Amino acid sequence: MKVSSFKWLFGRNSEFWPTNMNTGMWAWVGHRLTGILLVVYLFLHLSFLSQASLNHDSFDQLMETMAQPLFVLLDFLLVCAVIFHAMNGLRVVLFDMGIGIRKQKLVFWIMMAISAVLVLVGFWLISVLIFGGA
Amino acid sequence: MADKRLATSKVAGTWAWFFQRLSAVLLIVLLGVHIWITHFADIDPEVHITVAGVETRLDQLLYIAVDYALLAVVLFHGLNGARTVMLDFDMFAKRHRAVDAALFIVGVVSLIWGIIVLFPFIGVNGG
Repeated sequence: MKVSSFKWLFGRNSEFWPTNMNTGMWAWVGHRLTGILLVVYLFLHLSFLSQASLNHDSFDQLMETMAQPLFVLLDFLLVCAVIFHAMNGLRVVLFDMGIGIRKQKLVFWIMMAISAVLVLVGFWLISVLIFGGA
Repeated sequence: MADKRLATSKVAGTWAWFFQRLSAVLLIVLLGVHIWITHFADIDPEVHITVAGVETRLDQLLYIAVDYALLAVVLFHGLNGARTVMLDFDMFAKRHRAVDAALFIVGVVSLIWGIIVLFPFIGVNGG
């Protein structure tokens, strides 16, 4: 990509410069980034399961490694991405059905509030695996 | 970003749009069931996933159905979403037929591979 077109896309006057982005734009960017991340994870997930199919012993070892706090923390971040993508996606579906468009900012923040609650519940469920059992 | 507004025919685009929404709603249900059964239902959450555990879960026909349905729906949703992102860029929009073909092949191969991958786990305990 040429420098000029990069500036046009992401520079100070572009629609992607943070202070130029409105609520809906943040939602759009977030949806795309989490979407790409989740597709990458999907194929990672498939390849890990393939490991289980091909070699049972090494899969059990792999899963033992994945149960370490650092990887469980990454799992939690994955859960956050899924929750955001799902709740923002529901918002898109609602708008496509003609529901809530006039109050689109409010709907966004309602969905984010639901996401925050789900993330907290997720953290509560997962925390045992990060910090150890009580 | 793409200058060509319509990369595919309007009809095909509308179906892609519709199925993306339908699969989105299905995914929320299927993924919820998948995560709950895999990590929380009936197993000690402090015990990590094992081959034996997967074999036990996949003794249930319902769970095999959930897993395979999830595989098909998530592959469609993920790859169709990737297509949407790609077609926003000129370099891909110019070659949208090649993009469609490539993603279709990736999807079909992954689906078949994903189905085969679970075979060694199914019916191990005679359930």
